[in-house]
Amino acid sequence: MSSFFLQTIFNGILAGCIYALFAIGLTLIYGVLNFVNFAHGELIMWGAYFLYFLMDRPLNLPLSIAFLPALCLTILLGLGSDRFIFKPLRKASRLTLLITSLGLSFFLRNGAQFFWGAEIRTYGFEIKRGMKLFGVSITPNQLAIIVSSTLCMILLYLFFYKSRMGKSMRAISDDLELARVMGIPSDRAIQFTWIIASFLAGLGGILLALDTNLHPGMGLINLVKAFAATLLGGVGNLWGALLGGMIIGLSENIAVLLLSPGYKDAIAFGIMVMMLLIRSSTIFWPKE
Amino acid sequence: MDLFLHLCVMCLIYIIFALSLNLEIGYTGLFNFGHVAFFGIGAYTSALLTLHHFPFELGLVMALTLSGIFGFLLGLPSLRLRGDFFGIATLGFGEMIRMVFQNEVWLTKGPMGLPGIPKPTLFSFRFATLPQYFLLTLGFTAITFLFLRILIRSPFGRVLKAIREDEIAAEALGKNAYRFKIKSFVVGSIFAGLAGALWGHYTTFISPNDFTLLETILVLLIVVLGGKGTEWGPLLGAALLIFFQESLRFLRLPPEYGRYLAPLQQMIFGALLIFMMLFRPEGLIKERGRRVYAGTQRVE
Repeated sequence: MSSFFLQTIFNGILAGCIYALFAIGLTLIYGVLNFVNFAHGELIMWGAYFLYFLMDRPLNLPLSIAFLPALCLTILLGLGSDRFIFKPLRKASRLTLLITSLGLSFFLRNGAQFFWGAEIRTYGFEIKRGMKLFGVSITPNQLAIIVSSTLCMILLYLFFYKSRMGKSMRAISDDLELARVMGIPSDRAIQFTWIIASFLAGLGGILLALDTNLHPGMGLINLVKAFAATLLGGVGNLWGALLGGMIIGLSENIAVLLLSPGYKDAIAFGIMVMMLLIRSSTIFWPKE
Repeated sequence: MDLFLHLCVMCLIYIIFALSLNLEIGYTGLFNFGHVAFFGIGAYTSALLTLHHFPFELGLVMALTLSGIFGFLLGLPSLRLRGDFFGIATLGFGEMIRMVFQNEVWLTKGPMGLPGIPKPTLFSFRFATLPQYFLLTLGFTAITFLFLRILIRSPFGRVLKAIREDEIAAEALGKNAYRFKIKSFVVGSIFAGLAGALWGHYTTFISPNDFTLLETILVLLIVVLGGKGTEWGPLLGAALLIFFQESLRFLRLPPEYGRYLAPLQQMIFGALLIFMMLFRPEGLIKERGRRVYAGTQRVE
């Protein structure tokens, strides 16, 4: 029983790592551009499908080679959506941006369905028996998830606190006008934000698809989870997003022990509503 | 003729659906991205009750009541949020409700759906044929249109518009914005429930797959395309889009293209939504007497 419980905790942390990657990207875009990008889930989904595209016939690339190009394609998708859709709307009202990103999300989701159909796919690895560690079974893929997301967090920390660009992004997130007055190049920082957010989304999507499977609906449901994690940690707060992702992942996996597994994806929403009820509006202003 | 009447019925049902969303998005500025949830609640409630041999009148009343109650329960926490967070909360709610339809097999038969929903009988008159059903939906659409028109033009409607334009200013004038928003949200949900109930009895078969994001996008596009915050916009938008959608269905393409057609059509919807926002955010019909338009409002 205790090893069963340990396994659940482990699965929760695993999912939490991935949700944290999603949530950090979402909260970055929110912090810098000040709107919730509904299409963020679709970047996740397309990241996974780009890898599928490269590993499927006719290319048949191995994972190690296809991995980086897939991430690059995701970044291009993110940059492209900014250049052609969100940049012309930079000064539009927030609600216009919301509808636009929802439209984009729907467009991209059905685009994937157009090319690959609605069915659930996998990368076609044979299922490996995981190694046992303290009674918890870990597959090589899961090990890769933990290693790469931890690596990502460390790099993000270094980027945001040590590099000039990271610092200017944080400054813009705090106050765009003030950052501009101080001579911070906001256009470049915004581009960088998209690069990082789509990179994290693509990476998370690939890791998630390695651990489970991929289908066109995976974007939307993970958007809701990422948003719940963002809310938990405080919007615009990077480390809060990390923590929030962990909490969502853990509670989702623990709750499955009690509830019907069909509701696994509803847990995040439940947590979100609970957060709203308990802390109302105060939570949304973490910076003060 | 039957095809034309079918188009009209679908169009009328979506007009009710879109009018209810227009009250929220167009007049109150509530960005509800989970409107399909109430459509679904209405459809399932009325279908389940009539399938268990309760009269249609009761099914309809319960459909409206339950949609309203769920609207109230969702609005209570989420309307305290700012616009975009409210959007995500409702989007999540829409997905959640679909999961409930899918998982509560004892009630909804899950993914198998509910077949054989009886045609409605109102005051012992059975609306069985297509022209009769057309008259029924026409009646309900007229009621919805007139009710919402009176509501919008009443002092209540003016407060809603004031909240949409400037919530703080409305509060400064002593209006409790939160309460007005909840009222608007509940009314919108009730009419979405009405549209759902009518739709369920029309198609006679509903399943969780009928209440996905597609419906939300479609109804949102109807409102945005026609012109949000206008009385006639949703009617125009519904006419255009439902005609487009349903005509594709009769386009007798060979079945191997069917797999591409549905996503393609939905890609068009998504692209159209982006296009409208980029180039004509006010929609085909402009709201009169509104100088600063939300779509192009400058924030500096």
